Amino acid sequence: MMTNHDIVSLLVTCQLAAPAATVALVGVPALLGRPPSERATALIVGGGFAAGFIAGVLTLAVLATRGFVPEIVHLGSWFSVGHHEASIELVADALSVPYVCFSTGLCGLVNAFARKYLHREPGFTRFFLLLAVFGTGMNLMVLAGSIDVLFAGWELLGISSTLLIGFFLERGNAVRAAMRAFATYRVCDVGLLTAAVLVHRAVGSGDFNRLFGENWPNGTCLVPAATATMVSLLLVFAAMGKSAQVPFSGWLPQAMEGPTPSSAIFYGALSIHAGAYVLLRCEALLEQAPLARLLLIAIGLGTALHANVVGRVQTDLKSMLAYASMTQSGLIFAEIGFGWRIIPLVHVISHAILRSLQILRSPSALHDRHELEAALGGHPGADRWALGRWLPERLQARFYRIALDRGFDQMVVGRLFVVPFLWLLECAADLERRWLALLGGSAGPGRRRS
Amino acid sequence: MEQDPHRFLRRSRLSIATMTHHRDQPAPTQATLCRAAEADRAESIMVAIESAARFLPTQGPIGVFIAQNPLHAFECEPFEDAVVHAAQLYGAQPYLSETRYREELARGRIRAADLESVLDSDISGVGALLANGRLSLRDLRLALLLHPVRQEDDAAVRWTLTEQDVVERLRDDLSPEARWQLLSDGSEDGIENQDPRLSDSDDEATRRALFFPGSEAGQAGEEQRTSSELWHACVEAVSLTRPSITHSRPPVRHRDLILAVDPAIDTDNLVHPLLIRFCAAFVDQGVAAWPMPGRERGLLEAVTRIYSGRFGPTEPWSAGLPAALRAARGCHAVDVIAAELDRLGVPEADWNEYLTRTSLALRGWAGMIRHLEERPDRAPVEPVPARLVDFVALRLVCDRVAVDWASRQLGFKNNKKHENNSHGTGGGSAVPPGSHLQRLWTELRDRYPPRRGPGSLARAFLLHQVSQLLGLTARDIRGLDENELLRLEHAISAFDGFTRRRLFHLAYERRHQIQTLDALASHVRFATPASATRPLFQAVLCMDERCESFRRHFEELGQGFETFGTAGFFGVPMYYRGIDDWHASPLCPIVMRPRHTVVELPEDGAQSRHEFHRNLRRRVGQFAGSVSTGSRTLLRGGLFTAFAGAVAAVPLVARVAFPRLSARLGRTAAELTRRRVPTRLALEREGEDFLPDGTHAGFDVDEMVVIVRRMLEDIGLTTRLSRLVAVIGHGSSSLNNPHESAYDCGACGGGPGGANARAFAMMANDHRVRGRLADEGLSIPDDTRFIGGILDTCADTVSWFDADRLPESHRRDVDELRRACDQACVADAHERCRRFESAPLDITPREASEHVEARSVDLAQVRPELGHATNATAIIGRRSRTRGLFLDRRAFLVSYDPTTDYDGGILTRTLAAVGPVASGISLAYFFSAIDRLGYGCDTKLPHNITGLIGVMDGHASDLRTGLPWQTVEIHEPLRLLVVIEATPETIINATAPLAGVRQLIENRWIHLVSWDPETGALSVYERGRFVPYVPELNDIPVVDRSVSWYAGRRDHLSPARVLAAVPKRPASSARHS
Repeated sequence: MMTNHDIVSLLVTCQLAAPAATVALVGVPALLGRPPSERATALIVGGGFAAGFIAGVLTLAVLATRGFVPEIVHLGSWFSVGHHEASIELVADALSVPYVCFSTGLCGLVNAFARKYLHREPGFTRFFLLLAVFGTGMNLMVLAGSIDVLFAGWELLGISSTLLIGFFLERGNAVRAAMRAFATYRVCDVGLLTAAVLVHRAVGSGDFNRLFGENWPNGTCLVPAATATMVSLLLVFAAMGKSAQVPFSGWLPQAMEGPTPSSAIFYGALSIHAGAYVLLRCEALLEQAPLARLLLIAIGLGTALHANVVGRVQTDLKSMLAYASMTQSGLIFAEIGFGWRIIPLVHVISHAILRSLQILRSPSALHDRHELEAALGGHPGADRWALGRWLPERLQARFYRIALDRGFDQMVVGRLFVVPFLWLLECAADLERRWLALLGGSAGPGRRRS
Repeated sequence: MEQDPHRFLRRSRLSIATMTHHRDQPAPTQATLCRAAEADRAESIMVAIESAARFLPTQGPIGVFIAQNPLHAFECEPFEDAVVHAAQLYGAQPYLSETRYREELARGRIRAADLESVLDSDISGVGALLANGRLSLRDLRLALLLHPVRQEDDAAVRWTLTEQDVVERLRDDLSPEARWQLLSDGSEDGIENQDPRLSDSDDEATRRALFFPGSEAGQAGEEQRTSSELWHACVEAVSLTRPSITHSRPPVRHRDLILAVDPAIDTDNLVHPLLIRFCAAFVDQGVAAWPMPGRERGLLEAVTRIYSGRFGPTEPWSAGLPAALRAARGCHAVDVIAAELDRLGVPEADWNEYLTRTSLALRGWAGMIRHLEERPDRAPVEPVPARLVDFVALRLVCDRVAVDWASRQLGFKNNKKHENNSHGTGGGSAVPPGSHLQRLWTELRDRYPPRRGPGSLARAFLLHQVSQLLGLTARDIRGLDENELLRLEHAISAFDGFTRRRLFHLAYERRHQIQTLDALASHVRFATPASATRPLFQAVLCMDERCESFRRHFEELGQGFETFGTAGFFGVPMYYRGIDDWHASPLCPIVMRPRHTVVELPEDGAQSRHEFHRNLRRRVGQFAGSVSTGSRTLLRGGLFTAFAGAVAAVPLVARVAFPRLSARLGRTAAELTRRRVPTRLALEREGEDFLPDGTHAGFDVDEMVVIVRRMLEDIGLTTRLSRLVAVIGHGSSSLNNPHESAYDCGACGGGPGGANARAFAMMANDHRVRGRLADEGLSIPDDTRFIGGILDTCADTVSWFDADRLPESHRRDVDELRRACDQACVADAHERCRRFESAPLDITPREASEHVEARSVDLAQVRPELGHATNATAIIGRRSRTRGLFLDRRAFLVSYDPTTDYDGGILTRTLAAVGPVASGISLAYFFSAIDRLGYGCDTKLPHNITGLIGVMDGHASDLRTGLPWQTVEIHEPLRLLVVIEATPETIINATAPLAGVRQLIENRWIHLVSWDPETGALSVYERGRFVPYVPELNDIPVVDRSVSWYAGRRDHLSPARVLAAVPKRPASSARHS
């Protein structure tokens, strides 16, 4: 006789295994040089998402009958040393299960869209493979019951996102944008990794239930406030990169280099909100960390303001939508900072749906514009709220330049992070060269980075 | 600071040279600049800019896509030269890749006979290549065409030699004779001596390669020995001569020179993102909520105002940009250009090329700015004061700043060469940038690497392969003297990739030409002149090749169904404002400017209902507009997305998962809210007043008479009119498709031609017009009525206009016509589906009809239809001659009756309208298919609408012009084969007044064929004269209906005779076997 726990375990495993299996089903034949046909590829990947979605809905139903009591699914243990353990745990609760339904559902829709949109494109298989990797990573991250599992999902998200930005390998711009996103991700991943180490140190395991219980959204923090603050700050740092918060926001508009459907699901819907999800998951920690919350509010509002101003001067549809996404993502950060739970969750889901639709139909801009003009009987006038109209001319030019230069994000990040980092590397390389020379070998002429 | 006596003078000219640098640098010690010289310089800059402008893409805002020849500027040159020149200028391809042609050769699309034929006409009177007469140039070239020969550099050959057994074996694709020759000769040859020059060879791999072949004796002994013997001989042979070195002219742009020295520094990569942002903000037509301040003053002025402030950080390279822009502030663009060119150190002789290359480096944007400069009326929303000189000036300022930075970067590496130049961080400032950059330019040009010919290993390898193909043995090669060897090598290298591809292309076109002309020659014997009986229905459609299948299926319905083709504006050039439009747009070929405006109005009785619906619609529109902008803002957007965003799930799921159903629902909902009101065209003008835009509000009866008579005469429909004549324009509807208008009617300037059809039908039905026509000798029977309609080439539906205005007596005819057209539409949809891989080959007609409908409303569909892809032929002549010929939607069909055109006047005006439209479409598709990156706009997937005027790839790229890959994917790039049913003399006379068309013909941008109206003999225009065409085959396949010919096949189909559409022949005429 299967207990309730067994059923949920099975379903949750299924939510994870279904997309993961499609990665293998498509990836292995493709690696062997015999990629499945377009139809089969889309069916396999779509089937994985459908199975995940159905399993998610069933889990939701099961949980709902029990009043959303969280179920922890223990899949195994990675390693354990003494009383120190890194276990592989998933959690099905009021946060993760609805979110899985939503994300697999959206993935399924984008899958159906991309099947026609990418028809006969040389990278067809690669796209679907990456979509499946993304779906797997997303579910892993959402269902994670420990910070280690979360990190694994988080990284799958990052790598699939990078590879899809650089989908058109032959175009320099695309590859550069992918590198930029990847670099930002990696820098911010340090936050998550350090947080994981801290968590392990504090509670001897990465499990969330040892950190803040298991009763989302009413968890209680089980670690001292100092640890909570430290971990929270690191998580905020990690989330800033993936959710394109100031000052790590510059990669987002550039990420619109991939095919439209991937832009929609990554930067309109799911990937952009991964940071918010992690923060929501750890809300109990944040509760104990007012400093982190203040920072969150500041960053969130700052991002929203920045993106709103910059978004106003964007002249292409996808950049404009990227900044619109960033605005909302900033607001969501601030909402989390205020200590709200349900509002940001609803905001995330609601915004993701709307924005992915907008990005998917962004090539319709001309069509929509004509429709609108026909309906209004003329051009829709410029925005009445247009910023800067009432400023004196000199200030207008100045503000406009800030907006056009995207808030100088490129320069700021360049000066604050990239230049020192490269300088450090240069120094290291130089030291190494000297060291080698000292050892007697004539080191080859090191190539200067430009 | 040294005082310059000419400072004041130059200042008054607002020359930046002084204004920028008088503070920190000594004034340039140049020759005296006086006003006259300055004016001269300004003049030559303007000339250079104008000449550069010719080469920019001519595509306008994407909302109105007009297919044009992207090589329009080169039409004055012969085609074969033009494509090469353009390829060099644009960095594009002149033809398809050789691999692609070889694939076509392998699958029989190109035949060896075609290659031989084009080769014969290409070589004239060249004798033997080698002294012993064994080898002719033709043999050599044919061998190189038929067999792929690997031309690689030394490194690649070295790799090949180590990794593959090419030297140990003979090629697999040798002809039996060549093989036999090689082997039989090789066996007689005894052992060979050691290569005496071996010690000379310092190349390790060469030595190894020499020993390698012999080291593995044994198995396929004969072949191996022959081949390696030959290899030895080749290595010896090439060592007799030296490899060539060609000193190519170094590029003029600093960017290219710097890139040649250090591939990591590409100044364009630095400048372009910024420049693209400027241009996009400047030309934006309403995407950004906050338009660029000060853009009414022009691009240069606006940017200098915004960017010259000291405020704000810059990127490393652009640290000097604000200062440079400050200097340019308030100056005229030409002065800025002159000053920048001086500073960049470009000598005046190179200005022309420098400016051309500079404008072309970002040619999409430059072209758009040029277009908006010339045609401000084409800006979708508001005209901006675009000027190409502004763009070039801004670009040069940015370029100079970037080059300055790059030179400092290079300074680190080349500091040995710059002893006098202080180096270290930011060291260049001691030297005036002008002279500094000038030196950079000269020095880099001097150091520009010469192009070395292939190395000895590569040459030996090439010779080895060619010798095998030609059956030349080791002994033959050794027997050649130095001169012969040189000649042979030169002949091989002279037959380079471009030449081979040109010949392949000619062969590719030749096969198509033969196939088409054979079919015409064969089919004309079956053509029957129109019978005397009155046809049931006549339909006049656009000449568009997409209408070919619709016409064929319509004709297959029975003998009484006749069709005609003409330019799809039906001779009614007008500005048109539909009831839903808020402004009038031109509906006529772009070469014309309409002089009349026609407005669609609600019927008198429906006025109030129309007002009601319009108000409702406006409110819905306002709501939708505010939602879409609101969702992007901070506060409204936050509230809206947080609480109502999830509502978007409904359209998201519906649109993606059930496109056709949701479109139907949407349409029904729209119909319910704004029920279509009956409308009429305000076609006839009342007074003689002009509208504010200088056009007449409608036509008067005289003009209508001229229009109707001209059209009917043009298509030869002056007798035997049926009771009901349908005039059907065409348009296309699709979603999520920035290139939507590329699918509309080319003859309507990228708009749908329904209004023209409707207007024409109204004119032709007017009894006053008919009365006047009868007076002029063209009598339209009293019971003949015209009806206008529009064919949606994407969804395959026909909708009709003003059917209820026809008299009761014609109701039944209208119903029958509707049914007939619906049937033809279904059959047409079925035929189109064979081209769509996502439609199964065994699709039923009904499913096909649903399939194409779904394509037209699917957000995810990047190929709603295939547009003009596969167009290849234009046939101008009587339909009776081509009726029943399956032309696979590849032929523009223009109706023209040579028997009524006594002086060629009709042909002249037909060609005047048809020539530019058809050749424009053909060449636009041609070049987009030849090079999807260079001339086309590549795949649609990353396209990003910018400024509502064009598409970019991703977030910041050049504006992409041309056609997307998805549209041209199945297109065979062929020059249009224009067959005119007229004698050569008539054609020559008729084209004489049309300079543009003549140029296209003489320079071979189109192929011209005369089809004799009497005898049916074909003659092809070649090098200034008509050459009679001798058919290769006398018969073409015969099928009962179109469907039995195309069913189950996806590829291009050869013409076939479709019996269902061929009129029954009178019993008397002899049946041809």
